[in-house]
Amino acid sequence: MSAPSVLNCCDLNFRVRDVELLSDICLEVHQGETLGIVGPNGSGKSTLLKLLAGLRTPTAGEVRLAGRRLDELSRRSIAQHLAVVEQQADTDDSIKVFDAVALGRIPWLSALSPWSDADDAMVRQALHDVDATHLQARRWCNLSGGERQRVHIARALAQRPRILLLDEPTNHLDIQHQLSILQVVQALPVTTLIALHDLNQALTCDRLAVLERGRLVALGKPLEVLTPQRLRDTFGVQGHYLTDPFDGARILRLRSDTKGPGRIVQTDGRNILKEPAC
Amino acid sequence: MRLHRVVTLITALGLCSQAQATPTQYPLTLENCGSSLTFQHAPARTVTIGQAGTEMLYALGLADKVVGTSLWFNEVDGKYKAQNDQVGRLADNEPSFEAVIGKRPELVAVELEWMVGPQGAVGTREQFHELNIPTYLMPSDCEAKDNRVGADGTRLEPFRIDSMYKSISQLAEIFDVQVRGQQLEAELKASLARSIAAVQKNQLQPPSALVWFSSAQIDMDPYVAGHKGVPDFMLKTLGVKNVVQSDEEWPTVGWETIARANPTFLVIARMDRRRFPADDYQKKLAFLRSDPVTRNMDAVKHGRIIILDAMAMQASVRMFEGLEQLAQAINGYDLSP
Amino acid sequence: MMTTLVRTLLACATLLITVILGVSIGETAIEPSVVFQALANKLWAAGHVLDPIDEGIVWNYRLPRALVAAACGAGLATCGVILQSLLRNPLADPYLLGISAGASTGAVLVALLGVGAGMVSLSAGAFLGAVTAFALVMVLARASGPPSGTGQIILAGIAGSQLFNALTAFLITKSASSEQARGIMFWLLGNLSGVRWPAVWLTVPVAVAGLAVCLWHRRALDAFTFGVDSAAALGVPVRQVQCVLIGCAALVTAVMVSIVGSIGFVGLVIPHAARLLLGTGHARLLPASALGGAVFLIAADVLSRTLIKGQVIPVGVITALVGAPVFAMILIGRRNAR
Repeated sequence: MSAPSVLNCCDLNFRVRDVELLSDICLEVHQGETLGIVGPNGSGKSTLLKLLAGLRTPTAGEVRLAGRRLDELSRRSIAQHLAVVEQQADTDDSIKVFDAVALGRIPWLSALSPWSDADDAMVRQALHDVDATHLQARRWCNLSGGERQRVHIARALAQRPRILLLDEPTNHLDIQHQLSILQVVQALPVTTLIALHDLNQALTCDRLAVLERGRLVALGKPLEVLTPQRLRDTFGVQGHYLTDPFDGARILRLRSDTKGPGRIVQTDGRNILKEPAC
Repeated sequence: MRLHRVVTLITALGLCSQAQATPTQYPLTLENCGSSLTFQHAPARTVTIGQAGTEMLYALGLADKVVGTSLWFNEVDGKYKAQNDQVGRLADNEPSFEAVIGKRPELVAVELEWMVGPQGAVGTREQFHELNIPTYLMPSDCEAKDNRVGADGTRLEPFRIDSMYKSISQLAEIFDVQVRGQQLEAELKASLARSIAAVQKNQLQPPSALVWFSSAQIDMDPYVAGHKGVPDFMLKTLGVKNVVQSDEEWPTVGWETIARANPTFLVIARMDRRRFPADDYQKKLAFLRSDPVTRNMDAVKHGRIIILDAMAMQASVRMFEGLEQLAQAINGYDLSP
Repeated sequence: MMTTLVRTLLACATLLITVILGVSIGETAIEPSVVFQALANKLWAAGHVLDPIDEGIVWNYRLPRALVAAACGAGLATCGVILQSLLRNPLADPYLLGISAGASTGAVLVALLGVGAGMVSLSAGAFLGAVTAFALVMVLARASGPPSGTGQIILAGIAGSQLFNALTAFLITKSASSEQARGIMFWLLGNLSGVRWPAVWLTVPVAVAGLAVCLWHRRALDAFTFGVDSAAALGVPVRQVQCVLIGCAALVTAVMVSIVGSIGFVGLVIPHAARLLLGTGHARLLPASALGGAVFLIAADVLSRTLIKGQVIPVGVITALVGAPVFAMILIGRRNAR
């Protein structure tokens, strides 16, 4: 029996100016799981996350949060459930890191519940979780790309969401922080949707959704979904699994596919004799 | 009485000079505001830009030589209404260049340099002269006056009445009506003398005055007469001091400064134009009486407000009537402190 | 550290002192004792014997002018803050939405062409022009991109401003005598000379209400720090907040511009100065900018009347002359702070 779904979408479509960015996506996110979203560039990962977070309106289909339609909920109540870490969010303001993370408490503040010590504590906790406590007095403009990313994640954590959506959060990070962020994210008791590029990192998720040109082509456990066939068809690479003698974990070894999409086709001058299989 | 003697003398001189008026020799060349104008004969078709020039030509009996008028500030002087009705009006304000030359004029009489001049709103003098149309600028607007500085120009020297007489005699020469010209000059000089003599000069201290033309908005700083222009000349002639020190023709001066200067009289302009609400002299009066600061000024409290036609404050033949009106009004006030 | 109460009291004291300075210094010299006596007479019927002209000048000319300058400065600075925050652009100022350009066109139509046949005052014409221009800019912005996009609001605002400025220039060159042109130019560059008590009753409540609305949304404004999507993700109803705040900014700016003409640089420079000194939290930025704007404009008005004896320079010229170098210093300060 599966855990109850906290976020799901049905027949989700998104079109911009005659281009279908997403077609007929049906997805159910289970409570407490870490769901990875993978796919080549342009497959619609960011768009899907934005639609699930309610930041864009679908052309067709609906998104439900804990059973209720997203468009029936106020933004504030959505923000109390969901937090988003965008791929690219920047500012010219010279805001202090502590204040940037403190923005995450906004969905919980109001005239009746102003800023309190509890909010302070949550901000500090969030900074600690991403190993950015030493940065809290620095100004935004003085941070490196990786540090900025960690602060964004801290802000999302400070929001104390039940569901966390991350859009390629490890893009600018050095290897140490990439691994530690993933560890932090997985250790969190929140449901997580994470869009990833690195397929090996994706193996650590509970489930994976594979997007290809706006369609959901596979959904399931990573090892069941990332088959060599899938790797060749969707990602255009050759891959096979190895077992690491160190701890018995399965890792993916990838090689470039010289017979991938875009290779030269054979023709007799008028007809195509052999098409690429894609 | 001295007054009568002066008047008699001047009229007599005028009559004498009549006998000596010589007809104009054509071709006539004269210098006018930096341009040399040549006339082969008296112009038969004239377009005027500026009420001052228009009424001067009417006063010289030349209404039949005028084919188009423009730039009006007041209703035409009643004396000339009948003749003016025969003449077409090109525009209430400035006419277009083509409207003017469409009348095929042989002379364009211009009151203000910013109408026809280096930055002329209608055109430059060269544009007209290229088409063999001479433009006569009234000397009162170009002599010792820099029209590039200040919105209505700045006088380098105080206005002199001689420039008025020069306009009359030059126009009379151009049109070959010297006799009438000299007669007009004499009448005006007599009028001036009457006005000067009429004002009783037994004040302990010369009275002061402010001349208010209009304001962009009724509460905003007003346009008042500067201390070298025509209205200032009028005040000085009658022994009245202008409270405004600026050399500009019509500077803006704050009501605070005016109220504290507390002039003895206020002279306000009456005109038909209604571009600014303050153009209406009734509105000016209402403002003066209701504003909490101005209503405490001596001039307003004692009702020493003189209403003059806007044309009477400019270099025109009506200025002399304005002087008489001012003199009469000043006499009528009791200036004891 | 200073508590909010102490800070608020200090701010009020600063404002009060600046207003009193603005009342004491003017075109003509009035003794400070006379100024205080005049104020005492009017405020609590102290009964001093004064020249009614002096009393009238202090109470009916200078005091309303100082209060309107404070209100306009505060209003324009507040609008500058929220436009810079909402549109994510440090060069945004209240006139970006086409308001000042529209106000100029409206004023010129009334003043030079007599549109409204004398029934409509200059200020009313300016207000209608401002609102019309703003409406057109918003329509253009909506038609040219995604609903909450900030880029097209800015571009639409620039296009609208250019259009209305061109209209104004055309009307002035075609129909104005030099006197009229001068009158309208004076007004266009910002002029506090015609304000009396009725203008106070209009501008002060509008400025206070505008500031209150913006302060109510201070957290939402903070949420825009990282962009529109980020604000939405933090629970801010983006479209609604943008509508309310941009509409509020447009209304406040339109009222101010229609009373005093377009005074530039206040809405651009004061928010940056406040940010440099106080950081980015809108809870402090908004009141600080309002105070800074008020003090700045009172000082500029005093300078405009006293710099050249006997002549009044338009206030907008002073704010530009002072504002431009101050802006340069702020930019250098920002670079050094990094």
